[in-house]
Amino acid sequence: MIHWVFYAAFAIVLWGVNGLFMKLGTNRISARAMVIWVTAGFVVLLPFLWTAASLSGLTTGVILAGLIAGTVNGLGNWAIFACLEKGAKASVAIPLTALYPLCTALLATAFLGERPSVLQWLGIALALAGGAMLSYEPSTVRAPEEQLHCTQ
Amino acid sequence: MQTDRRQFPVWLWYALLCIFWWGVWGFLSKIGSNTANPLQMQVLFTLGMLPVALAMLVQMRGNLDRNIGGITFGLLSGIATGVGTLGYYAALRNQNASIVTPVTGLFPVLTVLLAFLVLRERLNKLQMWGMLLALASIVILSI
Repeated sequence: MIHWVFYAAFAIVLWGVNGLFMKLGTNRISARAMVIWVTAGFVVLLPFLWTAASLSGLTTGVILAGLIAGTVNGLGNWAIFACLEKGAKASVAIPLTALYPLCTALLATAFLGERPSVLQWLGIALALAGGAMLSYEPSTVRAPEEQLHCTQ
Repeated sequence: MQTDRRQFPVWLWYALLCIFWWGVWGFLSKIGSNTANPLQMQVLFTLGMLPVALAMLVQMRGNLDRNIGGITFGLLSGIATGVGTLGYYAALRNQNASIVTPVTGLFPVLTVLLAFLVLRERLNKLQMWGMLLALASIVILSI
């Protein structure tokens, strides 16, 4: 039997390489086109998934939750591609957007009545601090007076 | 004289928007996965992504970018995410989610390393510390 670590490492490699594909893709085509081609990449896997999983037995509510989840996931994909298209480094944007469980934790607290543990509060604090530090890109621009002198 | 101007870059707005949408995705997945298994959820996610892709196609009036490199990376991105997710589900069959999810949450380390090697991207010291804190929080929040 294959050890679970192998499968986890497989996921890490593919998701990690994907961050590079995302940046290389948005360097060449628009964020909107990337959404279309990424979705096409998912659709390629659909026949395999369909043979392994049937949707029979699922309630309408669960199917609706899954479909809407897919839609918001697609919107998230568009946002990350737009982020990379606007010049974000892959090494900043990918770790930063990987902080989305913070938002999930807040929504689960607000709507599902889940109470974060002390450890999770620590995780939330670290996410906020880490996110703020990652987003810090010092931009060196010339002072307006100097720009004026330059144009004269 | 060079001056630092603190400003909120456009890319950061999109990053925050992405965190929001993926956060909602995680929330809805939480609700759906109480009944549906991961593969069923993956089928529903894929079907749910189609309207967004179609809306983008309509917005572009069918004029898709024809850059072969871009198309290849786009397709590879979708396939890598999907197949990676299957690997994640396979790991979940043999180990608890409280162990597998924090481990797989470390994938940004590889992206940062590849961006350093392939794209020649460099992080400043503060961003390096930020990445370490972010990784620690990803692991903690995934438990």
